[in-house]
Amino acid sequence: MKKLAYFDTSHEMPLEIIMAAGFSPYKIMGDVHQSNDPADKYLSSFFCGAARSWLTEALAHAKEWAGIIFAQGCNNTNRHYDIWKVHVETPFLHWFGAPLLDGDAARKYYRVELQRLISHLEKQFDIKITPEKIREAIGKSNEIKKKLKQLSGLRSEKDIPNRDYLTAMIKCLTCPVDEVSAWLDSEITLWNARPAFPSGKKRFLLTGSDITYVEWMDTLDDCGIRIVRDDLSVGERFFATLIPDANDPLESLIEYYTGIPKPATRPTLQKRLDYLYQALQETKVDGIFSQNLKFCEPYAYDSVPVNNALKARGYKVIHLERDFSPAADQQLANRLAAFVEMMEEGNNG
Amino acid sequence: MDKAKNSTDNAGKVVLNTLPHSKDLKWPMLWWIGMEKLYRTLPWKKTAWTCAAFPIELMWIYDIFPDHPENMATVAAARKQSQRLIEHAESMGFSRDLCSYCKTNIGAYDTKIKKTLGGISKPDIVVCTNAICDTHWKWFQIMADKMNVPFFMFDIPKWVSGTDEKTLEGNIDYVVDQFYDLMAFVEKHTGKKMNEKRLYKVLNRSMELSDLWREIFEHRKAVPSPYSGAETSAAFFPLVVLPGVQVGINFFKKILADIKSLTAKGEGTMPKGNEKYRIMWEGIPFWYRMRFMYDLAQYGAVIAFEPYTYSFAPVKKKCLTMEETLRDVARLIMDTPYAYNLERRIENFEKWIDEYKLDGVILHENMSCRPSSAGMVDLTEAIMRDKGIPVLILQCDMNDPRAYSEGQIKTRIEGFIEMMEANKNTMS
Ligand code: SF4
Ligand code: SF4
Repeated sequence: MKKLAYFDTSHEMPLEIIMAAGFSPYKIMGDVHQSNDPADKYLSSFFCGAARSWLTEALAHAKEWAGIIFAQGCNNTNRHYDIWKVHVETPFLHWFGAPLLDGDAARKYYRVELQRLISHLEKQFDIKITPEKIREAIGKSNEIKKKLKQLSGLRSEKDIPNRDYLTAMIKCLTCPVDEVSAWLDSEITLWNARPAFPSGKKRFLLTGSDITYVEWMDTLDDCGIRIVRDDLSVGERFFATLIPDANDPLESLIEYYTGIPKPATRPTLQKRLDYLYQALQETKVDGIFSQNLKFCEPYAYDSVPVNNALKARGYKVIHLERDFSPAADQQLANRLAAFVEMMEEGNNG
Repeated sequence: MDKAKNSTDNAGKVVLNTLPHSKDLKWPMLWWIGMEKLYRTLPWKKTAWTCAAFPIELMWIYDIFPDHPENMATVAAARKQSQRLIEHAESMGFSRDLCSYCKTNIGAYDTKIKKTLGGISKPDIVVCTNAICDTHWKWFQIMADKMNVPFFMFDIPKWVSGTDEKTLEGNIDYVVDQFYDLMAFVEKHTGKKMNEKRLYKVLNRSMELSDLWREIFEHRKAVPSPYSGAETSAAFFPLVVLPGVQVGINFFKKILADIKSLTAKGEGTMPKGNEKYRIMWEGIPFWYRMRFMYDLAQYGAVIAFEPYTYSFAPVKKKCLTMEETLRDVARLIMDTPYAYNLERRIENFEKWIDEYKLDGVILHENMSCRPSSAGMVDLTEAIMRDKGIPVLILQCDMNDPRAYSEGQIKTRIEGFIEMMEANKNTMS
């Protein structure tokens, strides 16, 4: 099944439409091991490394994809569409204006944008995206979400390295759904058989910019941190809720996508906090790790009020800024390790 | 700004002639300051924070005073306060990489700095859009929460390259629906109701103000240039907060008359015979360093056109019904030149280069403003290829003086001037 790639700074892209069109949705996430030189020709250095990496990937691989859909995302990248339109060679490039709001007007607009996407796909690929096909895709999506939820719940009970969770997430966002579904079944069995949560590790909630490479997760493990909850888009936001069953499958999608937990690119702050509070109530954690990718504005704005609110509730919060790089930043690792150590002393005392 | 303009550094150098009525800018400014005092004194009057690309007229229609954090941030920069306010916001945890307008505002509010230095008071409501950037709503939401004030945002769909008319109409529908949400919001939180009679009165005045500014720009096409970006950067103030009220119209009429009399005599803002290079300046000026624009005169260069101030004066239609009016305003919010997509940017920049007979373009790659800085490499390549004139990308910041390196900028400007000179020689 051919991949149809999408550019999505959060989880705004209605993947079910891509699936109903007969393609395998592929989230462009770049490659932290590749130099961003190709993208640097068109994007200034003060755009986040992730966005530059995505363009680098598209410049090299777009020909392998049936097309690319851009979902409206963050302040940094919304105008990148125009740049991609000039430089990335693809037979199909579509802007999906995922609204920022979630009220009646936004829901009405979401439907207009869904229909525009469907017509464009139908015309381009000479296909018919029927309600049945969308319903079938919704069913498959929900299956994946349920399995991911089950898998992610094991993080606080079993010995699951941070890397394994992110690997599972990345696989779900880049590989064909049927393949992923079978793979998740075997992972659930394997994770269930893992030893109990290691006594030397601290349970953390992870928040902030999306993480798209496993090396950063390894750094956290090395510092004694186990991520047991998160509110990332390459994370819990993807599977926190299920797509509801409505008579009209477009209505199901509208309800789902306007109702998922909010990232920093969507109002309101309070809604974002509500999800964090809920996660913290469901799962006991030792601390909260708020991390920001260098030059990622939406999360940098949020980090101040969000972290202050969490601290005010008595949580131990550490905030750090990281680069887009697979190399371990020793300074950051030292600060994290010191934070964990302080916690241990606090607990002992 | 006057201080910068007449600074002793400029003694014996080429000094731009300012228009006789340029000093009259103080009247709209004093009117605005006076109005705020009045609105804050009378309990039935209300105040709002608004941002660029928000239809300010709506606030005047509702008899709500539109305060303007960005405008006050520029005042703080001009009064040399922005750096300490930005550093104050950074000490609260806000990253160095965030928009310096936002941080200036956060610092100004938190330190309760005086209004004359760029201070700002708590409003009754906070309203904004994401028409130009998401920074606006992120920033305004944070401040609304902090001040415990009701918050409203317009979600403005993006007019990306290649958007067709049908999609545009769908986008307009969405914005129009939100106007009704705004009306409900305003009524709920201020008790104020839409008055249709007032709506047309305010919009007519707003249209007149826009028309005057565009007429001023028509005369800026004259050689030598009668009015430089150094002056317009301050003088466009009425378009920021006063569209819909009379005082700005009076000021623009005087400026227009000055310009007409100058061009009739064949004179310009530069002393006779000094204008050698006509430049387009793209982006927000360095508010803490307005002298930069005046100093270009030393090289015989004048900023003859800038999309930034032009952005604030779109062509406004006279509409006869509420629905028609709202559709027009919705389109205008999406159509601001400052937020043009790359294709429209290239097309319009090339048109303006011809119309204003420009010799070069300076693009301010603003580290505070990622949306406006995206696509500058492509824009540069297109202009150089199609128009054959030099383009300089200057990476800096509009409100944070720490990004400004005097020596480096001087060297780059001198190189740019040499390129324009060489280009002129080749052309001739
Ligand atoms: S990391 Fe931040 S700035 Fe970069 S694309 Fe994602 S949300 Fe946007
Ligand atoms: S400078 Fe740019 S990012 Fe900052 S408020 Fe203005 S438009 Fe937005």
